[in-house]
Amino acid sequence: MSEKKDVLHVGIDLGTSRSAIAASNGERHVVESYVGWPVDMVARKVVKKAVLFGHEALENRPMLDLHRPLERGLIKEGSPKAEAAVRELLGHLISRAGGTGKMVHAVVGVPAEAMRVSRQHLRNAVKGVADSLLLVSEPFAVAYGMDALLHTMIIDIGAGTSDFCVMNGRYPTDDDQRTLTHAGDSVDEQLALQVRARHPEANFSIHMVRDWKERFSFVGEPKGPVVVEAPVRGKPTSLEITGEMKKACESLVGPLSETMLDLLSRVDPEYQQRVRNNVVLAGGGSQIPGLAAALERVLEDVGGGKVRSVEDPVFAGANGSLAIAADAPEGDWERLAG
Amino acid sequence: MRSVDRMKQQMLRDAVRENLAVIEGRPPAPVRREGRWARRVVRAVALVAVPLALFASINAFSGGGSSSPEVVVVPQRTVAPPPTEPGLEAVSWPAPKSIDPTLFHLDVKTIVLDAGHGGSDPGALSSDGLVEKQIAFDIADRVRVRLGGGLFQVVMTRNGDETVSLRERARRARAAGGDVFVSIHLNSIPRPDEGGVETYFLGPTDDPAIRQLASAENGSSGYSLSDFRGLLEGVYVDVRQAESRKLAESVQGELVSSLRKITPGVVDRGVKSAPFVVLIASEMPGILAEVSCVSHAEEARLLRDAAFREAIAEALARGVRAWADSRNLAGAGRSGNG
Repeated sequence: MSEKKDVLHVGIDLGTSRSAIAASNGERHVVESYVGWPVDMVARKVVKKAVLFGHEALENRPMLDLHRPLERGLIKEGSPKAEAAVRELLGHLISRAGGTGKMVHAVVGVPAEAMRVSRQHLRNAVKGVADSLLLVSEPFAVAYGMDALLHTMIIDIGAGTSDFCVMNGRYPTDDDQRTLTHAGDSVDEQLALQVRARHPEANFSIHMVRDWKERFSFVGEPKGPVVVEAPVRGKPTSLEITGEMKKACESLVGPLSETMLDLLSRVDPEYQQRVRNNVVLAGGGSQIPGLAAALERVLEDVGGGKVRSVEDPVFAGANGSLAIAADAPEGDWERLAG
Repeated sequence: MRSVDRMKQQMLRDAVRENLAVIEGRPPAPVRREGRWARRVVRAVALVAVPLALFASINAFSGGGSSSPEVVVVPQRTVAPPPTEPGLEAVSWPAPKSIDPTLFHLDVKTIVLDAGHGGSDPGALSSDGLVEKQIAFDIADRVRVRLGGGLFQVVMTRNGDETVSLRERARRARAAGGDVFVSIHLNSIPRPDEGGVETYFLGPTDDPAIRQLASAENGSSGYSLSDFRGLLEGVYVDVRQAESRKLAESVQGELVSSLRKITPGVVDRGVKSAPFVVLIASEMPGILAEVSCVSHAEEARLLRDAAFREAIAEALARGVRAWADSRNLAGAGRSGNG
């Protein structure tokens, strides 16, 4: 007699920078989207693992073949390592959520651009990580989880891309979505450039810059001076970077505004006001203080509107994907098996 | 509340349908909208009229097509559509095959040079302050000088340190009537000991959605008129990919052989396909060349030397000219100008 396995529904936000999982058993986990394999036997002996993830992989990067599989929102075509990294990352998340030995039905939210450009490739890359698997675009997953399905614009500001999606009460098509590469990573690069220009003697890495941004980012007026620490000729030194932080973060406002207004102009005129009053920021970038207010100021030129941020930016995508997984009929999971 | 549930059910159906299309290698079916009967009539007319028009125009191009060796469309196999649409008989259409553009002796007149990044987007940064946007522009400008001078019209997508979105770059390329698009970038690799040269062309080359468009069943397939337009464009995409691959191989070969004369250890990272948005949107044969690597100490040092940048520019120009000559696309007298 065959024993029927328990079913675990999971929603996964497969992001450029971080990936999160929310499962029907209540488990929730987040990991930085880094996957690394020891470069040789010596490294393998030191790290004592066949593959490392997230922060642990970053910490040990000199000994690893390190991959961030969704660079700039797309899976790198023709790169078996990038594909393997996606598979490993998803497998790791499912295992942490308690999926081992269970029948796993997974909904995976991916950057909208990856969904649009390399749909087939992505599907091949994730084949086999769950018993049944449904891929959706990340902003759609966020909208679904919030029941924001009508007259709403989702702006999901991730690390590699900022994804826009207008929800018109139907499954979004390519026409309803836009993707920009102005996102968290471009802020990091801009900040690094600015700080290096002002403090050429300071020694810092892009990972330190990312950490500074996550702690001190702002648009508009600062709450106080932004002071960070970095070695100068080997000595830890305090650097004042308020102006640099402001300039780097505000480099997002122009491209985001332009795209937001462009998408708005394509909405049926009858519903434009409703969409303007329902702009939702998601993703890590949604937490930049002052960004929502700056976008609201832009909307004032076209009649005003409201921009708000999701309450739980880390898990908004994963929660939305889990809601989709829970709602999908069993018959659909059977068709999506494999 | 009930209407939200209905919306969700419909969206789930569309999401599942889109995923099943990918699993089965079919192009995504259109999202259901109003006026299905009217669309069916249009579709029925289009399914008959558009292939006939395509055949007529291609046969006209090949001088009647009966005995010419320049046969551009070869019936490979026939697809018999199930006669499910009322009024549509089962008609067999030969699957289109890629058209060889050399048969038309088309000139390359306008070359679009795209210096990566710029303005608020610095691109990759080296540990000692080298900025990708500056180096890419310097090299692009040198290529402009070498390819210009009356032989080709050369257009730059940016003319200085300005922020230009990918969409705008593609728009400028199209507006200029570009025949070929060359995007110049510098690599940055997490492992500092790795460097080298790599060139990308638009991929994936064997996207089943594109291949199968040509031979997909009609009647009950769910194609709309716009999908069918996509099918015809698929034929062109194949041509564009083939041309882009050849251009990439030519440029990569020139880059590697030239740079190895300066630094023998330079790594040939090869020709690869990738779905870079700018290559897709430019709608012409195109490549993205990672001409060197700013994260590699030796290459970063060399990039500071104008002679090294000049050598890269010369190799790029030679690669483009060689491609044009080898494809018999360049007009008489263009060979040997390098």
